[in-house]
Amino acid sequence: MNKIKFNLNGQDVSVELDPSLRLLDVLRDHFQLTGTKEGCGEGECGACSVLINGRVVNSCCFPLANANGKKILTIEGLAKTKRYQILKDAFHIEGGSQCGICTPGMIMAAESLLSMNPHPSDEEIRIGLSGNLCRCTGYNMIIKAVQKAAELGAGLW
Amino acid sequence: MFDPNKSTPKVDHEEKCSGEAKYVADIILNNTLFAKTVRSSIAKGKIVSFSIPELPNGYYVVDHRDVVKENYVKMVFTDWPVFTSERVNYIGEPIMLIVGPDKLVIDEIISQIKITYEEEEGVFDLVNSVAHKSFKKGDFQEASKRAVRTIKETFETGYQEQAYIEPQGMLAYLEEGGKVTLIGSMQCPYYIKNAVINTLGYPEDKVRVIQPAVGGAFGGKEEFPSTTACQLATAVVKIKQPIKMIFEREEDMLVTTKRHPSSITLEAKIDENNKVLGIKAEVGLDAGAYIGLSAVVLSRAMLAVTDAYTIDNLDVSGNVYVTNTVPTGAFRGFGSPQMIFAIEMFMTHLAKDLGVDPFAFRLNHLVKQGDLTSTSGFFRDPIIMKDMIKKAVAMSDYHKKIKEYSKPGVYKGIGMSWFLHGCGFTGDGESTHIKSRVRLVKDEQDIVYLYIAAVDMGQGAKTSLKRVVAMVLDVPNEQVVFDYPDTDFAPDSGPTVASRTMMIVGGLLARAAQKLKDSWQKGQYQEIIEQYKQPDYIEWDESKLQGDAYPSYSWGVNVVEVEVSPITYEVQLKGIWSVYDIGKAIDERMVIGQADGGITQGVAYGYLENMRHEKGKLRQKNLTDYIIPTSMDMPPMETVIMDNPFLYGPYGAKGVGELTFVGGAPAVALAIEDAIKRKVNRIPATPEYIMELINNE
Amino acid sequence: MVKHIIPNNLQEALNTLNAGPCHIMAGGTDLMIQKRNTAGTPPKFMKDVLYIANLEELNYVKKDGKRNCVLIGASSKLEDISHHPDVPNLLKDIIREIGSPGIRHSATLAGNIANASPAGDSLVALYLYDAEVVLSSVNGERVLPISKFITGVRRIDLRTNELIKEIIIPLLPVTKYKWVKVGGRRADSISKVSFAGLYLVNFGLVSDIRFAFGSVSAMVARSVELENSLKNRPIEQIIADLPRILEESNKLIAPIDDQRSNKVYRRKVATNIIESFINGIQ
Repeated sequence: MNKIKFNLNGQDVSVELDPSLRLLDVLRDHFQLTGTKEGCGEGECGACSVLINGRVVNSCCFPLANANGKKILTIEGLAKTKRYQILKDAFHIEGGSQCGICTPGMIMAAESLLSMNPHPSDEEIRIGLSGNLCRCTGYNMIIKAVQKAAELGAGLW
Repeated sequence: MFDPNKSTPKVDHEEKCSGEAKYVADIILNNTLFAKTVRSSIAKGKIVSFSIPELPNGYYVVDHRDVVKENYVKMVFTDWPVFTSERVNYIGEPIMLIVGPDKLVIDEIISQIKITYEEEEGVFDLVNSVAHKSFKKGDFQEASKRAVRTIKETFETGYQEQAYIEPQGMLAYLEEGGKVTLIGSMQCPYYIKNAVINTLGYPEDKVRVIQPAVGGAFGGKEEFPSTTACQLATAVVKIKQPIKMIFEREEDMLVTTKRHPSSITLEAKIDENNKVLGIKAEVGLDAGAYIGLSAVVLSRAMLAVTDAYTIDNLDVSGNVYVTNTVPTGAFRGFGSPQMIFAIEMFMTHLAKDLGVDPFAFRLNHLVKQGDLTSTSGFFRDPIIMKDMIKKAVAMSDYHKKIKEYSKPGVYKGIGMSWFLHGCGFTGDGESTHIKSRVRLVKDEQDIVYLYIAAVDMGQGAKTSLKRVVAMVLDVPNEQVVFDYPDTDFAPDSGPTVASRTMMIVGGLLARAAQKLKDSWQKGQYQEIIEQYKQPDYIEWDESKLQGDAYPSYSWGVNVVEVEVSPITYEVQLKGIWSVYDIGKAIDERMVIGQADGGITQGVAYGYLENMRHEKGKLRQKNLTDYIIPTSMDMPPMETVIMDNPFLYGPYGAKGVGELTFVGGAPAVALAIEDAIKRKVNRIPATPEYIMELINNE
Repeated sequence: MVKHIIPNNLQEALNTLNAGPCHIMAGGTDLMIQKRNTAGTPPKFMKDVLYIANLEELNYVKKDGKRNCVLIGASSKLEDISHHPDVPNLLKDIIREIGSPGIRHSATLAGNIANASPAGDSLVALYLYDAEVVLSSVNGERVLPISKFITGVRRIDLRTNELIKEIIIPLLPVTKYKWVKVGGRRADSISKVSFAGLYLVNFGLVSDIRFAFGSVSAMVARSVELENSLKNRPIEQIIADLPRILEESNKLIAPIDDQRSNKVYRRKVATNIIESFINGIQ
């Protein structure tokens, strides 16, 4: 059996599972990290977003094998950081979360965006979140939340 | 930024951001088995025979033979089977469940199941009516005699898929003593409980329904979860182990309920002063294979016939048609979006045919306080539509743009919709069917608990209802607790539908809280139960569809600006402006959230979301092919809420959940019509349709 | 039971391929979905799977000054390619409209090519630029023009012991280029029709002109003969020749009806686009 080794939320792990398993299933079923959600299973909705070496990726079409040697961050891992606190507060202030199912994915995508572009324009935020579908908010309040986070968290990203 | 005095901290915000909120798929119980549904592959016919391979130990079939008492899902009618026994009526109709511990083994078993059908010709046109309704106002025939002009048009609307980001799912298990417990993604715990009691023949205290976090619903989880619940309840009683069934997106999209496709024909009789004397309307809804809630959807559609206008003479009839397609059901708006699209387009088309300015023409028919409604009830409460329209026009620069965009060769357009939404259940539904009850409990620590069946599916009910109680009691928010509904503790305060949650349930809570406040005893356990009482002024005749259809109305104005490409016919949204009268916003941030989300769905219904079937087979079955807006599709949106407090709503609040959906489609369709200078009679107004309109002159 | 091989270097990968047929998985954004099985279970692979996404050896984008082309390694992610200064702007524009950031951080250009989807956006630019693919095996390397490598809908001329090692994109002098993607919405959409065109003007003569359509036939639709008939002619002449260009373009394409759109729309839009492109030459 292949041993896949990677860093998960700050801890080095090694798993002996079928390397073709979706990373999404490994996170939810094996590690019981249910913060990453399945919304569509085909890379469209972004509810399964995680960060691989700091960049947002859809874990529903990412094979476990490709995790080898990478740093993986799920919402549970990000939630321990100061940047997450800023994002969470900004989402609250601007009403960026309603039913919440897309929220962890949105926050992961926002983190990925801000770490590459700490002061994004409205347009750049929309592009950065274009892979995360939301059916409740119409996106405006989410865009404002990311703008607010960039403002509140100046210097953190 | 939202004024903290007008918006409450959202109680579930932390857990939703951190991923700790538990949706049904996240709940893990020991020894849980998986279930997968075996479904009909034909649209219409009989099951002649079937063979199932020998099942390994620990694997089960559950089908109609296992249904303990009633093999129908209790909704308004009794035609919807839990498991079909012989006849199949749509592609995807559930025949049996295969249950067991390993998903791959279940898949293998299913691949070896052979079903032999005697296939019949499916019916896909609107020809088989199973419910007919009609009502009149004034005297249409007499009005016709006075008319100088008759104009008739037909409008069509397609499916709309709720596309909540959390697919449907349910978990069933037995508690001690054999109590069937269900946890699932739902809007109506008591619809589920009552359906399961009916199917199992169990007493009230042997079925329990608990709501977890719900990832969006929009009506799609109103009645459909009852079917899943009855299937799993039947299975769990047989197998006596926890069973979990989570739909993946494709299955969800193919088999769960959607918005009714419709065909609406409107005929107007107009006098020499360009006044519409009367309208004759024929409404046809495609219910799919089973009636479900379709007759109620038809009612609401028909009652919305005159939208925000007053027309003195009406002749309205409607039919629910069954076809061999997936059953349709509740979706935000519940029939009124179809009708309001039709009537809004029609009013503008009438003006164009008459050669008059549509804005002035519509304004000339705008409803006023005291006018008779479509069903000859009264618009009792103040109506501030004139001010709302003025505001929307100013915000969007509507008149200037209409003029500018009318020039030839300009493919920009602007459209404005005016609309209302009747709040709560139609007519006397609240008092005859729902009989809503709420329960407040204060413990010895003076913490107040809300026990109601209202589901927070994202609209913020968990927070806003708490707020109402806290405001009445004049205590900090933290002193009031509202946990997810559990039918063991919460009385039936009614389903989370029909824009009734704040107005009706919130109203009951406010009354209960007032009683608690008046009788408050520090340090003592106290319980208040409050029952819904219909206000005296509501008079409704369900058989004739006459009287006050709703206790109150919320109002809205939407303006949408678009640019259409003459090369690709694609539509780009350039701006959206909205003004709403929902009585009073209990929580401003949440209301704006509903406004943004509602209009996004409504506009997308008008131009983007396309679902068709071919002989009963849906062609769009995933989020790749069924297109909903992304962040890049939406333009800046501006919303204004205007106060117009409703006497009988808590702090003046009326319904908001559906109102904000209803106006989007006509607004964008009118904008597209304005841009391409052709009449739009169908939604979604896709680029393909736009091309047809431009090139087939 | 299929084997899963995560090679440490290119040679190991080639040796594996030589030992038996494999699915070659790069980012997985196409393959994982095409082969997907019930949630929680592994995809349905019938052959062994070779994972090359993490081969650092193949993770490069570099300019080859001598041959005046840009070289893109097979495991380069789309997002990285879209930021590289030497990659033609046309291809960068196209990549930015593919999928979403999540997809672009994982997906590869090599994967797009191997998938050979009729709706593959990046393929249109690659055809236009006469890109070539370098196919590597234990026996050495083959270089094929992309138009020869892709032989049909999801069909490629790849031998069982080969993998795509690199994509060679010759650099072209360009006065203006145009890319039009007609999808269902502004992000995350599969093209109904797409078009890429470029031209080079020297002293009022169009010395180079290329255009191709995507999503309206089995493979990218381009006619080098049609282009050649327009080369080195004055702009006004080309514009005057529009009716013939439209006629020939219409013969090139064979749009279909499907769940996304219909053939009438696709043909009309393709025609509108090429008309607008030709009329816009200056």
